[in-house]
Amino acid sequence: MDVSHSIRERTIAENSLVILLQGLHGQVTTVDLRDESTARGRVINVDAFMNIRLEKVLYRDRRGHVSSMDDLFITGRNVRYVHIPDHMNIIETIETQLAKIHRVRNFGASGGRKEYSKKK
Amino acid sequence: MADDAEQQQSSNTVEEPLDLIRLSLDERIYVKMRNDRELRGRLHAYDQHLNMILGDVEETVTTVEIDEETYEEIYKSTKRNIPMLFVRGDGVVLVAPPLRVG
Repeated sequence: MDVSHSIRERTIAENSLVILLQGLHGQVTTVDLRDESTARGRVINVDAFMNIRLEKVLYRDRRGHVSSMDDLFITGRNVRYVHIPDHMNIIETIETQLAKIHRVRNFGASGGRKEYSKKK
Repeated sequence: MADDAEQQQSSNTVEEPLDLIRLSLDERIYVKMRNDRELRGRLHAYDQHLNMILGDVEETVTTVEIDEETYEEIYKSTKRNIPMLFVRGDGVVLVAPPLRVG
């Protein structure tokens, strides 16, 4: 459940709803793709561009043919929907993810390299 | 919005089109999407890309079939319900209050 190592990705994620998807690490969800196929599996990772890695996937293609895969990488552009598990608290998940990013940002704050300079 | 926890959008004035969507937060809305899809659900969150979180969603997919003999267009729609859905913004065409008939 690690935050991205890239400053650019952290900033992109922090300023969009992708951060909620990043909070889905470890959950089993269904991703509906642009081409009408669906993939249901456990979320390993979601990056700032909405690229999604799933494991232990049940993949149903456009024709309805089901196959299973150990590992699936979906390009962000190809995502249409992500089904959010019922039990999830959305605000809490977003706030937790934001807190993680801020923790990383403040890590080198005193005497370390700052991500952005505050000009006063 | 995603950064609500930090920067509270306390301005209640409508300045840009996205502010109109802000007015619909927690309300039921109608979303027209690409590929002849429509969504009706409760708007929980959105961002500048129009990625949205919708609750209690009904998705309607409309297809047109052409009758081989009469060449008339037969419109069919398929609906399904999803409790909580994340919608990627690049599929969204328009956002509106739910259509009221009559």
